[in-house]
This record gives sequence, structure tokens and C-alpha cells, in this order.
Amino acid sequence: MQIEQSQRNGVAVLTPTGRVNMVSAPKVKAAVDEAVAAGTPRVVIDLAQVEFIDSSGLGALVGGLKSARQADGDLRIAAAGDQVVTVLSLTNLDRILRPYASVEDAIDGW
Amino acid sequence: MAGDVYSLEGFAVPSGIEELHLLLDHAGSDHPEVDPSDLMLFETAVVEIANNVVEHARPEGEVRWRFALHVRPGELEATLSDSGTPYLGDIGTAMPDELAERGRGMPLAHAILDEFHYSRVDSANHWRMVRRGSTGPAS
Repeated sequence: MQIEQSQRNGVAVLTPTGRVNMVSAPKVKAAVDEAVAAGTPRVVIDLAQVEFIDSSGLGALVGGLKSARQADGDLRIAAAGDQVVTVLSLTNLDRILRPYASVEDAIDGW
Repeated sequence: MAGDVYSLEGFAVPSGIEELHLLLDHAGSDHPEVDPSDLMLFETAVVEIANNVVEHARPEGEVRWRFALHVRPGELEATLSDSGTPYLGDIGTAMPDELAERGRGMPLAHAILDEFHYSRVDSANHWRMVRRGSTGPAS
């Protein structure tokens, strides 16, 4: 899996591509940890290019959220597709990972 | 039409999960009458069970599995049989706390499926998954 990284207004934006599954989920978590360690604990994960997520991927998002919060930041998700939104809802994770419509919406007012 | 069957055999390893995705994509292409949302959710449940088999596969890399998907009017059914050691977990386990990083696979599959069975027969694990819904008119 490829994960693009960029910064906008002091927020780290991570853009993974493909499926976030048991193989790629650790890479997503590592990318969040890297951003936090580099001094940008406010992280947006742009899910526009993610076609599928499994429970390992959900675990990576939760792990990333905890890493970011421990550094006084936060993690937000943006542009999630239908599968991701449905899975977040079925697992009740939409309570702590509210899907933002776009990266701009996630960053706006942060 | 009685429905189509799609099957594969191989090792219960991470690359086998990719093969399952491709097989389900193939089935979806062949059956435009199946609601894409139903197929997407069914794929999610199948992959969670397959992940579980891969994670618990002992000896690692040597467990074989056989998967079959039946596409019928109004119903998707999958069976997965693996040669691994018996599954000792609880397939009815509840959704974990929101901040947990593990343990959502089985409850997520449960939330998606209308029928979900596990059995241990002839030194193999057998998983059966069914989702009914808007997959075309039932006959």
C-alpha cells in the first residue's frame, strides 16, 4: 500500500490507497505515529482512495486516534466511501471517528 | 436459475485474502442484479472470517482452505473450510469498547450476516455465512 503524506495548515494529511486490511493496517498506524512523532499530532486520514477497510484497519484508525490524542492532537477521517461509512456505523466507531465529507471540512476550523 | 457457484482453494495466508476479494469482485461483475451494498457488506463479513482463519492458522502458512460462494436470487451464501486447529473463540462475542484496537471482526460479521455458523467436522473448521436482502427477487 502506498500512503501519500502532506501538510496543510499544520495538519498532517495521510492518503492511503487501496484496501486497509490485515496487511496494510500496520502501515497506516505507523504513518500516523510518524506524523505525531514529527510534531504534527493533528492528523487527517483522507480515505477517498480507500475502497475497503476491515477490522484490522479500524483498529489502526483507533490506535492512530489514541496516539494523536496522547500528544494533545486528534485524528479525523475524511471522504470515506460507502463501505467504510457502513463499517464505522456497524462497529459504533462513528461515535469517536466522525466521517468528514472532505479533507477541507476536516481541517476547517481546527 | 438455481444460482452460480464461485470457488477457490489455497493456503490460509494473507495473499489468499486478496484472492477472495477478487473472486467476490468477479461474482459481482457477473451478477449486476445483486445489490452492490449487499455484496460489499457480504465481502466484509467473508473477509473478517477469513482474516480470523489466517490469524489462527497453525502451523502458520500450512493451513489449507476451500471457499465457495453461492449467488442465488435473494441470497448470498459462502462456505469456508480450513484444515487448521479448532477455533476456540466465541463467534457470538460482543462488539468491544470503542477504544479497543482488536476484537471487532466476529461481531462485525455477525452484524452483517443473517446466518452464521461454525462447526468442527472431520478435523476441519467449517464456516457458513448467509446474507439475504435485495439481491434480486427470491424464487
